[in-house]
Amino acid sequence: MATTACFIIVSRNDIPIYEAEVGSAVKKEDAAHQHQFILHAALDIVQDLAWTTSAMFLKATDRFNDLVVSVYVTAGHILNILMLLHDSRNEDGIKSFFQEVHELYIKILLNPLYLPGSRITSSHFDTKVRALARKYL
Amino acid sequence: MDSDDVSKSSLSKYLHEEITPVVMLLCTPLAEQACRKNSLTLVQMLKPFSVSTNIQVPVRTTTDHQPYTLRSFKLRFVSDSDIRQPQQQDIVSSLKEVVSCASDETTYDPQSDPPQLHNLLSMSESEVSPPWFSVFNRNLSQAVSFSEHETFDHPVACLVIVSSSDEHPMSKFGDLLSLDQLPTPLNQGVMDPRMLKHYILLHDKQDNSTEKASKIYAEMKNTLGLNQSRLLCINSNKDEAIKLLENPWICNKTGSVQNHEIARFLSIEDLNEIKELVKDLSSKMIIPYMEQKIRNLNQQVSATRRGFRNQIKNLWWRKGKEDALDNSNGSMYTYSSTESQIRILGDYAFMLRDYELAISNFRLLSTDYKLDKAWKHYAGVQEMMGLSLFMLDQSRKDSEVCLETAFNTYLKLGSSGSKNATRCGLWWAEMLKARGQHKEGADVLFRISCEEPSLHAAVMLEQASYCYLLSNPPMLRKFAFHLVLAGNQYNFSEQRKHAIRTYRSALSVYKESGWSYINDHVNFNIGRWLAFLEMFDASIKNMLGILECSHQPLTTQNLFLKDFLHIVKNMGKKLEISKLQLPSISASSLKVIFEDHRTYASSSAVHVREKIWQSLEENMVPPVNGIKSNWLDSRKIQTPKKYSGNVSMVGEAIKVYFEVKNPLQISLSVSSMSLLCEISAKPTVEGEKKSNTGEIFDTRDQNDCTLEHNQLELSEHNFVLEGGVIKEVQLDVTPQMEGFLKIVGVKWTLSGYVVGYHKFDVDLKKKCKKGKSIVRSQKQNMSFLVVKGLPKLEGCIHQVPKTTYSGDLRPLTFELRNKTKYTVKNMKMKISHPRLLIPGSSGDLDLEFPDCLKKQNSSEDKNIQAEIMHKSGGLLFSFPTTAKINGGENIQWPFWLHTAVSEKISIYISIYYEMENISCDLHYRTLRMLYEIEVKQSCYVLSFFTLEVFFVVSTFIY
Repeated sequence: MATTACFIIVSRNDIPIYEAEVGSAVKKEDAAHQHQFILHAALDIVQDLAWTTSAMFLKATDRFNDLVVSVYVTAGHILNILMLLHDSRNEDGIKSFFQEVHELYIKILLNPLYLPGSRITSSHFDTKVRALARKYL
Repeated sequence: MDSDDVSKSSLSKYLHEEITPVVMLLCTPLAEQACRKNSLTLVQMLKPFSVSTNIQVPVRTTTDHQPYTLRSFKLRFVSDSDIRQPQQQDIVSSLKEVVSCASDETTYDPQSDPPQLHNLLSMSESEVSPPWFSVFNRNLSQAVSFSEHETFDHPVACLVIVSSSDEHPMSKFGDLLSLDQLPTPLNQGVMDPRMLKHYILLHDKQDNSTEKASKIYAEMKNTLGLNQSRLLCINSNKDEAIKLLENPWICNKTGSVQNHEIARFLSIEDLNEIKELVKDLSSKMIIPYMEQKIRNLNQQVSATRRGFRNQIKNLWWRKGKEDALDNSNGSMYTYSSTESQIRILGDYAFMLRDYELAISNFRLLSTDYKLDKAWKHYAGVQEMMGLSLFMLDQSRKDSEVCLETAFNTYLKLGSSGSKNATRCGLWWAEMLKARGQHKEGADVLFRISCEEPSLHAAVMLEQASYCYLLSNPPMLRKFAFHLVLAGNQYNFSEQRKHAIRTYRSALSVYKESGWSYINDHVNFNIGRWLAFLEMFDASIKNMLGILECSHQPLTTQNLFLKDFLHIVKNMGKKLEISKLQLPSISASSLKVIFEDHRTYASSSAVHVREKIWQSLEENMVPPVNGIKSNWLDSRKIQTPKKYSGNVSMVGEAIKVYFEVKNPLQISLSVSSMSLLCEISAKPTVEGEKKSNTGEIFDTRDQNDCTLEHNQLELSEHNFVLEGGVIKEVQLDVTPQMEGFLKIVGVKWTLSGYVVGYHKFDVDLKKKCKKGKSIVRSQKQNMSFLVVKGLPKLEGCIHQVPKTTYSGDLRPLTFELRNKTKYTVKNMKMKISHPRLLIPGSSGDLDLEFPDCLKKQNSSEDKNIQAEIMHKSGGLLFSFPTTAKINGGENIQWPFWLHTAVSEKISIYISIYYEMENISCDLHYRTLRMLYEIEVKQSCYVLSFFTLEVFFVVSTFIY
């Protein structure tokens, strides 16, 4: 399992709809905002890159010091971005993680009570994502 | 991009200015003194004229090259004491000064809004990055000047300056040039001491006669050569300082010296003479000298190094040397070594702008240095190759590769190369910027920032952020991120103003997005730093946004709140904040309870739905408008009400219930929470009410609230709210005068320093459920017509059991109290369960237990009308018509509770009464009471037993 891993789902207009620290490292005080900064900055790269390829998994798109941002773009008509900030090099694991989280996310979208673009508050989703993180990262 | 753009770029301008021949100044103390009269050093005096722009010097570097013309040329005048590697502390302090000067210059108003994003985007490159950046970069690059591994800083020529007042001036020329007087690099063989020499006799016209000077000058011409000698007259201005239209020195010198002191003895003639001197120096001497040297060296190099045979020979020779020493500091190259000579050739060619010749020599040299493993020299050569390729604007890729190699090689050298790496990186970034590759430039600047101390890193990061802004398309998020990184570094190096500036610019990107941690971090730090600078108002403005940070961990919440309170404490006054969210007040939970004609005996009665009361009170109270008995009733018979809002009495409390929620995990101490009310004694629109005082109290200015204690009685509430807790708060206001009362909001004090206000916002569309009245808009519910005090009955039934058994029969005492001074009459009562609760006759009260079972004496029935209630129309009981309750009195009445089956029962009782002798809108009131009784099953054991006894007895008889 990766020591640092911050997973985030970004909806249209850069609004994060789900955030989770899924790393095994002891949570530091300043880690949360630092991770957000890095992920937010990486969106610039993602926006350019997303339209140049048909692949959904964009691999490592950006890095800051030893932290790498891996990105998975969903195929929605709006650009929904799954981003993971991590320090491990396990690309296959990350890809599987993204794919499974994507499935979970689609299930969330199918919920008629869920308004697309709003925050994901489902605790079920949260536990599932954390379990996946433990499994793959 | 064509070469025009290259020549216009800031890097090429910079290279034309900074990589230019160095002219060393050697002067006697008296000569220096003559200059000091003008508050200028010799170097400063010459400096404004170091650029000769209107020259036309044809240059032909090598025989096989076409001649070309140099139109402008710059010299660098350096005094002999400065020909050495600069002290790092000096550089660091000068850089610090640049930054702090800039922070003082950038006047920004912390109160103003941070720069808007679209404004930033519309700015051009020069507008975006402040001018002090280039000054900073230049100073940073100068940290590594006069290094031994590059020759463009080595003096090409020297000016030997002797004052005409010197004794034995001719011998002084020789003394100045003696080897042990020269700066150390020249002595130690790092730099070539053989250079172009030019002798100047500095004549101070104030000190000596011109004759003496011309005599010495004639001697100079004889001994030192006609072309190498020159007479320079200064301080010819004897009168008051002539105001030069543009004093060329002033812009170069800042500090304590007054501007009028500078150059006050220099006349126009002196100025022109200096100009002429420098022009001649560059065009007639230095350029031809360099040209000549290039030709000589080139010939030498061609003979020894070029061609296939020489290459092989060189390689062979190098191989033999390979295992000798791995020399990374490269001190093995003296100025006379072949490598240094090639380097000089390359640098001279670069300075004379023959970049192709320069490149070919640098290429040659780089392989040599690489083989020798002289990495610093190698990096230096790669750097120059990159720059030459840039100036030629050929093969972009190559120039980048060269600079990158140089940068990485310098970095590998560790501490000795880090400053060089920084300079190289700056040039590299500038080159990328000049080519429009801003993003790559930003990456380079970021890499530099990793190697530098925090202040330098901060400036680098800020420059990187502007690169992102200027890249196409603009990368705003990266821009903001790097601004924040820069701000952080500025903070480390205690440049708080810069830190605030960068954070505020970053805020424009982060605004209005859901990235909560980012927003909190940025706002919190701006707030904290502003507080350091004692700009508390602005600081608090930033802090307010982050106080309600329920997503943050406990420690962060604590930190935010603690810092905020600390800032408020430092402000030295109580801070008043409207819409303070600590604790937050939920608008939907707001309930207002007041009594108009409907009064309540207990709080449980208040919460019963109005419909239940209305159906109970039907037929008892006179019809009120709004209540239709059936659709046939025409509504127009109803008299229009005088006032459509709520009515309340003087001296009767209006209760406001609402929920407060602590959004944080830490406990909050809230003190003196009370309602904010406005009361005005102005007459109603209809003019019916006369105001008694005529004063208008307006609590919009909240400070006046305390003055109104005569008119209003406000309850205060102190409590500590634990983390995450929701608590219901009840606040009362009791008007003490007639008029209009409006409940505006609520105020409280948080932790003793912060006064928070919450206005009950008027949301007209949102209907709220009230405990009692029909659904009305909230605004209406918050304003009241306060009318004169009316009689009010309070009532209760004593000893009502909570639980009882079915079939129970017990007497209860019902008591009505009139605490007001008015008399009430014509009382009626309705009970929802008249079979359960039966009003008895007044006499029942006096009965003792056994007596009550006795048959009542019929003789006592004479005043029955007075003592029992008249039952009419189903559930309605009327008290005897004579029954009145005078002010301050109370009456008691017996009730019988007779329970039937087991169940839970809510008994609603409504008492109607009218006022005597009061002309008012309200001529009656009702008192509503609610009792809840649980009836349990009981058994009939006893009666069965008696029956059995009867049987036994009867059989015994028969």
